[in-house]
Amino acid sequence: MNSPPDPANLAELQARFAAALRAPDHDGATADPALIAGIVDDGLAPADRVNLYRNNASAMFVGALERSYPVIVRRVGDGYFHRLAADYRAAHPSRSGDLHWIGESFAAWLAVRLAGTEYAWLADLARLEWACEEVLVAADSPAISIEALGGVAQEVLPEMRLRLQPALRCVSSAYPVWSVWRANQPDQPGDAIAADRGAEHVIVTRADDRPVLHLRPEAEVRFVAALSSGAGLQQALENSCLPVENLPQALAWLFQHGLVVALEAPAPGEEE
Amino acid sequence: MNRDVRAAGRGPVGPIPVSAGIGLRSVHHESLVQQRPAVGWIEAHTENYFHDGGPQLLALERARALYPLSLHGVGLGLGSAAPLDREHVRRVKRAIDRFEPALVSEHACWGHSGGEHFNDLLPLPQTEEALRHLAARVREVQDVLDRQILVENLSSYLAFTSSQLTEWEFLSALVEESGCGLLLDLNNVYVNSVNLGFDPLQYIAGVPPAAVQEIHLAGHLRKQVGDRVLLIDDHGSAVCPDVWRLFEAALRRVGPVPTLIEWDTDVPALEVLVAEAGLADQYLERARELAA
Repeated sequence: MNSPPDPANLAELQARFAAALRAPDHDGATADPALIAGIVDDGLAPADRVNLYRNNASAMFVGALERSYPVIVRRVGDGYFHRLAADYRAAHPSRSGDLHWIGESFAAWLAVRLAGTEYAWLADLARLEWACEEVLVAADSPAISIEALGGVAQEVLPEMRLRLQPALRCVSSAYPVWSVWRANQPDQPGDAIAADRGAEHVIVTRADDRPVLHLRPEAEVRFVAALSSGAGLQQALENSCLPVENLPQALAWLFQHGLVVALEAPAPGEEE
Repeated sequence: MNRDVRAAGRGPVGPIPVSAGIGLRSVHHESLVQQRPAVGWIEAHTENYFHDGGPQLLALERARALYPLSLHGVGLGLGSAAPLDREHVRRVKRAIDRFEPALVSEHACWGHSGGEHFNDLLPLPQTEEALRHLAARVREVQDVLDRQILVENLSSYLAFTSSQLTEWEFLSALVEESGCGLLLDLNNVYVNSVNLGFDPLQYIAGVPPAAVQEIHLAGHLRKQVGDRVLLIDDHGSAVCPDVWRLFEAALRRVGPVPTLIEWDTDVPALEVLVAEAGLADQYLERARELAA
């Protein structure tokens, strides 16, 4: 800052305080002489007082991230997780007064940070844990039954869209993320699962107020993901390479689990 | 999944009774509804109920059908010099529409700068500039919410040399300029009296009694920093004897008002919270007798 400090200016005071809160260590937090000079010194160093707030801001952030990613914490341990959290915070600081969203970009950030390392699979585990967070807070919608399909004319069926529950996420991974997630739940011993055990594909839903993880065949998860993103039945089949003979079974599964909330015919004149 | 959070039934939408309530934490959602303890009301953190749906909202609907509700915000950062987060205010409004709380409160703090939120209650200097800014923000939020809000005093670990007013003068002027009510947190008054060195009774004597519509009581932590002890407002233990004495003094000044037991970290069994609320009720009862 080039202009002379004006300690009475609220915006400037908060900008200086914010810089101290972002600092990675105590010395960084207390390096701004104008900030320190603006704090009453009554025998307890102003720098130590500022540092209390810095520690608190960091603990708030790490605590919120830990609550969203308990399986990753358990797999990598507190020390490594805290280092990851500090680096993640520097790249993706909190953008909301609602702590819940702090972990929103963690999976994408981990994918870059851990690319090419033996921990690359943690990014997919993070996607799975964030999917659980999202389904827990998604809107509730009444489900429709499979009988609704009977009323659809054959010629529009291929273009028909199935609107799915807001509380539904698809996670496809080249790693055994479902197995790792299950083995690291609080009531499980936390067995290490070899990352090279193979791909797993998961549909996450909500039931009895908890996230439920369904391990499903790859093509079926891709099919549901395509439906989720708004594709019609025919398009979703093509995108996912789900064999057409498996379609009745895949649809039955969705309806049985109460995951379809509406059938939507394409608007007249709408092209695929 | 055919459950609409609005279908759980409306609760007693009347005013918060002049009795002790408890802060609702998610670990107690189930036990509160099953045990239905004799507490007068509940208070929930507004931001925990910002979601579109899901079990948290349903749990508050159920609790709210049994007890009068206060919604207490922790994330708005009213005194931030940066623009007001209108999306956050919109979500507060949505929670108010959904849960119909009898009281709505926030803090006399700032919380974001340069696009970053610190998710903490950060201290304002008690300057004329900060006062004008905070009062304007409170008025703006009250206009959007179309109701009065209560503003709570903070715990502070530092004081600014630029402050021209005492904390109680600052809050009194805020009430005057914004028309807000006060949520007087007596643990915070006590914590600040130790951390910043003033007489907590002078603070109590300095706030406008008619503006105080709610009191908070909580525990704090003693932390050694260098050769000094600082009190940290962690809401992680029982209310200490000094704060109970301050409560007695405050009730003499402002009269009996709804009083909340806050316990947010190391949350104990519901029975422990209810017993603390029972103690607060005894103080309130004595204050009523004195006032009679």
